[in-house]
Order: sequence, then structure tokens, then C-alpha cells
Amino acid sequence: MKCLLLMACVPLAAQTSRLEATPEYLRPDPFGGIVAADGGSGGFSNSVKLEGARGGHVSFHLVVKMSRPGPYTLTLRSYPAQFGPQAELFCEWFHLTESNKQYFPDALIPVQQPYHSAMPEPDNRIEKQTAQAFLVDFWIPPDAEPKTFHERAILQAGGETSELNIEISVLPATIPNDDVLLMDHNSYGTSWLADDYPSLSRKLGDGFFRSDEFFRLIHSYHRIFYEHRGIFHQLGYGHAGKVGPEFAPALEGSGRKRHIANWDLYDRHYGPLLDGSAFAGTRRGARPIPFVYLPVNPEWPATFVNWGEPGYETEFVNVVSEMERHFREKGWTGTRFELFFNHKKRYMGFPWDGDEVRFPADNRYLLEYGRLLKKAVPADSPVKFVFRADVSWDMEQQFKDLGGVVNMWVASRDILSWLPRASAMLRERGDVIWFYSGPPAVTEPASTITQFPLEGWMRGVGGFVHWLTVSAGSDPWFHFDGGATALVYSGDRFGIAGPIPSVRLKIQRNAVEELTLLASFAGQKLKEEDLKTEAARLYNHTTPAEWWNRRPAFADKPTYEWSGTALDEAAKPAMRHLEHIDPEAWARVRQYVMRLAAERNGQK
Amino acid sequence: MKGLLLTFVLVAPLAAAGRGVARELDDVARIASVMVDGDACRRIVTLRALEFMFKNDPRDQWVAGDNYEVNDEAFIPVKKTLIRLSHLAPFPCDVNLWMPVAGHPEKVRIVIRNTNELSQFWPWGALYQDMIPSMKQVLETGHRVTVSEKPGWVSVLAPVYDSLGDIVGLVEAVTQQPIDPQGNVK
Repeated sequence: MKCLLLMACVPLAAQTSRLEATPEYLRPDPFGGIVAADGGSGGFSNSVKLEGARGGHVSFHLVVKMSRPGPYTLTLRSYPAQFGPQAELFCEWFHLTESNKQYFPDALIPVQQPYHSAMPEPDNRIEKQTAQAFLVDFWIPPDAEPKTFHERAILQAGGETSELNIEISVLPATIPNDDVLLMDHNSYGTSWLADDYPSLSRKLGDGFFRSDEFFRLIHSYHRIFYEHRGIFHQLGYGHAGKVGPEFAPALEGSGRKRHIANWDLYDRHYGPLLDGSAFAGTRRGARPIPFVYLPVNPEWPATFVNWGEPGYETEFVNVVSEMERHFREKGWTGTRFELFFNHKKRYMGFPWDGDEVRFPADNRYLLEYGRLLKKAVPADSPVKFVFRADVSWDMEQQFKDLGGVVNMWVASRDILSWLPRASAMLRERGDVIWFYSGPPAVTEPASTITQFPLEGWMRGVGGFVHWLTVSAGSDPWFHFDGGATALVYSGDRFGIAGPIPSVRLKIQRNAVEELTLLASFAGQKLKEEDLKTEAARLYNHTTPAEWWNRRPAFADKPTYEWSGTALDEAAKPAMRHLEHIDPEAWARVRQYVMRLAAERNGQK
Repeated sequence: MKGLLLTFVLVAPLAAAGRGVARELDDVARIASVMVDGDACRRIVTLRALEFMFKNDPRDQWVAGDNYEVNDEAFIPVKKTLIRLSHLAPFPCDVNLWMPVAGHPEKVRIVIRNTNELSQFWPWGALYQDMIPSMKQVLETGHRVTVSEKPGWVSVLAPVYDSLGDIVGLVEAVTQQPIDPQGNVK
């Protein structure tokens, strides 16, 4: 291991309590082992060596092991902020999964030091628990001094004191602030916030959805993803066109009299996100969110009852023009406002697919909305409107037929895998190209989540979207669904009015930081293709070519003749390399990145 | 008569305000039976989509939804009529279109939903579902039925006729009180 060099384990049989550590990819279980998905055994050490670049993070699992129940105190000394790494300590929650009745650590509860608790952890309620895991997360500021720092974790339990030495080598290299690709975390509406924060919603009652606390809660979700090198999207309308009042200005009138009557909720929701003030005090600084959904759908701002008639165009153009004016006057010019249609025919709201067009006749609706958008927004507006389409079946043809209309694409990973020139073609003409995906469940190896940033970089896209990232199920604490739709958790149980992170989110963040550093090395001496070749080899023993598929014969047929099964088969050759990511996969890539960083410093 | 009796039985538990809402929705539903074009309704979902609707492929769980398509020239005028009908009520309501499934008398499917995303019967995302007894009643008798099974919800079901005078479907005029502004935004 490069970044986390674990020293040889020393038997401490005489002690009834001790501290041990594992790399971030080897998740501890509550009984002194490693979760089976990450290897099941080994990996523990009694000291830690970490290595990282400035402007980034390094992390590891710190494990309190106690052979007898009882109280304990854990202490981790922090560095002065102006000199070196800054530590955050999180207690790891062991979730019992419904699918296999195993425990997996994922939710990270921030804890103050010294941390006083007991084994078994009273809140987690695990019978015969002998090990409690903590994630130690070090932030290395961009102005940290490049040198080696020393730290100690101290455990006091049963009259014994155990220590674990931590060595952190800070490299001179600095991770660029702008990531090599954007990691987007999607969600739908806000009703789930009342469910996830019962303390707050009960206290505020009917006023919850209009309260300052509610908007702070929304902003806290943006902040947590931003702090983990990601962004957050909340779609504000349903498949039949219902718009949540906090996602759109209030409208009045119809036909030529339709207009915006009230911006209050919209501005309270989006103002701090669009001027960046919601991110004040974060390590990455206050910046406007780069992308945001508009509430526009076939039923808003123009009502579908007027579709195809002059009133529809008038309502649409007048209201969108008002929005452009408002955004311009507010100076909200750092964000791309997405005209995006999420509806599908199968949800019976509208007669065409906005999301994942399969039947090419539906594209004429997108062309019409493109025309309306151009009519509504002045060509020289400093406000950035983009027309986003999430595409799969018909995407190869849509890239051609909708060029100049749609300019933001969120594409199927599978189909993109047989279109190796598409990303470059789209980016050359100024379009945004991402792919969509979903977070891996906790039951998969911890390193699995690193595949998405790496795949994005290998395929030359500008980002990817995890389609749902805030839905941890009705009881993530004791009856967990696996977390394939959640990368953060509600902090309500722990008295926190906001989300708390996960082990997977930390691993994803660390990976994109290191990938961003790696990509920044591309230049005259190191070609990007060579960097990709080595990263792929180290990651899963592949060549860059193996990340692509052959375009299948059925791709020449009309898309309505394709089958989902054939599509899956066509994507398999490349995707099978990503099916089973071994626990050490990203550690090998990280080691390569750090070696290059050290070499470049030596050359300077 | 049986249908009228059922109407009475289901409305009876409603509070006074609820009875007022039910009367308004009953008016909407009664007018819908006259205004909604049953022949157009029959043309909305394509034959191909109906054939795929019951296909079961263990390797492709989305096969039915991925092949769901509609004729927009039939869908649009019917949807516009449903929207206009919903405007008759002095409170937010939706008028949804439901139809039986040919060859599957024990099933029913929603065909058009509307902007408040309201329905007392539709499990979110279903292409078809088990026949609702009150819907079966409407389809068999032509009588309107009022249903208030969920607290705060009122639906009035009314038949839709084609040019032959046959009942080809039904409308659900529905409201929820109070309206949940954040509900079903997904």
C-alpha cells in the first residue's frame, strides 16, 4: 500500500483492549475482523503511515478492540491548523443488512474528543460486539508544510492505555481545486426531508416546508456533497408535472396574463446556492453551484391544456423570460440552469418520453422546447441556460439530430461504452457529457465506488450522476437495504440537523482527489493516454481498450426493435471488468499517483 | 340501484366538508361521463404496448415499461379534456383516466394522470394492477361511485362511453384535503 503503509502486527495478547488500524478499503466488522466483501481477514496493524498531497484528504479506519465489555475513552491529538493535517474523527455505524444479515460500517457520526463510550456501543446494540471502528479523516490544507507529521491515537479502557502511532507525509504536490470530472448526487423532491428529520418536522409542524430550518437543511445537503468534491441535484417536479412550491416561483394568470407573482420560496431556496453564500466557511470556499435543474416541464410554466396553441408558447416564453431577467438582475451567472425533462410515458403524465427517449418520434418535442427556450432567452444573456437530456436507447442518433438544441447529455454507461468517439465529439462542440450510474451497496467491496470516477476519466466524460443518493430506507440503522440509493444519512438520530457522510462517500472523494492530481500530470513528458494505461493496469489489470465495447450489429436497427437483454449483453465485455473490484484496486492507483507526485517534486 | 347504494355507503362516513367536496367531485365526474371521448381513449395506448404489458422476462425486468408507448394524437385531446374538467372544481383536483385490460378482466390500468399527481388507487409506477372493486362496479353498472378509503381523500368514479354506447373506461375525479404540496414530487 502506498498511502497507508501498515506496519507489521505485534501480538498484544496480554492486553484486553487495544487500538488497531486498517486502510480505508478494508472495513472492520464489529467482532474484530474485516467484512467479508473486503477480504474477511488480515489488514490490521498497530501503527499507520499515510502519504498525501496538499489540498486533499487521507483516511483510515481506527479500531478499538476490547475483549471484555466496558467503558473506554479515545483521544486523537489535532495539529494546529496553520501547520499541517487537520483530523476529523467519525464513529462508524454498523448497519445490519436485510439481504445477508451481516454488519457493514458506513454512516459516519462526527464525534468530539476525547470520545467516551462503551463496548458494546450502546446505541448500535450489537450483541457480543468486541470492536468499534472510527474513520480518521485528515484534511491536508493547500498551505500545509511539506514534511512528515506525527500523531497518536490513545485508548484508555479497563485501567490500560494503548497507543497507535500515525505518521503523515505531506507531499509538495497540490491537488487542483477543479476536479477532473464532476460527481453529481441526485435526489427527487423534498418530502423525504420531513421523514428523515422527524425531530425538526415535528417541532415545526405545518410550517416545516416554509421554515428557515427547512432551507438550511437543503443547503446542508449541498454543502456535504460539495465538501466531498461533489455536487447535489434535487429534481423539483413529478412525472405528471406537479412542481414543489420551493422549486419554482409562484405563478398567476393564464395565457398572455400568466406571470411570476412571487419569488420568495425560490429565492430562499436557491439564492444562497446560486451566489455561493451557502458554502461560506467550507474548505473549498464559497462558490455558486455549477448546475441546477429548472422546474420547467410540460405542465410548467405553460399548462399542457394549451399545448400546440399560441397560449402555450406565450406562457412558456413570458415566464422563462422573466426567470432569465430575475437571474440576471441577481447576478446568478455562475450556474448552468438546466431545461430538463424527466417524465416517461409509462408514468402516464404526458404522451412522450423526456427521459431516455426510445421512440425517435419523441425528439420532435425536444426540438420544439429548444425553439421555445431560444425565443425566451436573449442570445447575449450572461445567464447560462442549458438544455439537458438524459439519454440511452436513441442517444447515438440524438447526438446528431439534436445537435445545437440539446447541449448537456447524461448518457447511459452501457451505450456510451460502444461510442468511443462520442465524448470527445460532444465536448469539442461545447456540450456537457456525463454518464449516469448508482452507488454500490455496502455489501460490495468498499473499493467498488472508485470505479465511477476512474471510468469517467477513462472515457473522457465531464462527470457522472448517481441517480439517487439520499434514500437510505425506512430504517438504515437496524434493517438496512444496503444503501444503493444513499451516500449520506440523516443526522437526526444523533441530534444533528443535517446529513452525515458515509465511508463510501469518503472513499469516492479521496479517489477523485487523487485522480485529479494524476490527470494534472498530463503534459509534455507524461501523456494522458500513458497515465490512463498505467492506471487501468494497476486498477483492474486492463488496457484502456478493454474499457470499450464493440458496437453491436443491432445498433443499426431502429431503437424500438432493440431489447434490454441484447443491450446488456452488448455492454458486458467492458462492464465485466468492473463487476468485481478487488479491495486493493484503488490503493495501487493511489500508490502510482503518489510516486509520480514525489518524482515530479524531485525533478523540480 | 346497487351502485347507488354503494355510493351512499361510502359517502356516509364523510364529514360535512367532505360531503361538500364529494358533491363537487360528483358533478365533475358526471360531466366527464358526457365529455370524455371513449373512442379516443381506446386509441391512446398502442397495440404493441398492450402486447408487451404482460411480458415477463427474468433477464429484462423493464421490458413492459420500456415498450410502453401511446398515440399522442389521441392522448393529447383526451388529456386536455381531463384538465378542463378538473378546473370545474373550486379546489385542486385531478381527473384521471382508467381503462380495463382486454383479455384480463381482473386487471385495470391507469392511462392518463394529471398535474396534482393524485390518485387514491394507483400504486406509483404500475402499468396495470388488480381490478378495484369499485371500478368494476362502475364498468359493469355505469353508476358513479364515491370512494373515500384513505383519510382525507375523496374519489368519484364515473363511466366513459364510446360511440356505440359501450363503457370503455372510467374517470377518477380525485382530491386530497389538505393537499400535500410536496407529495409525489419524484
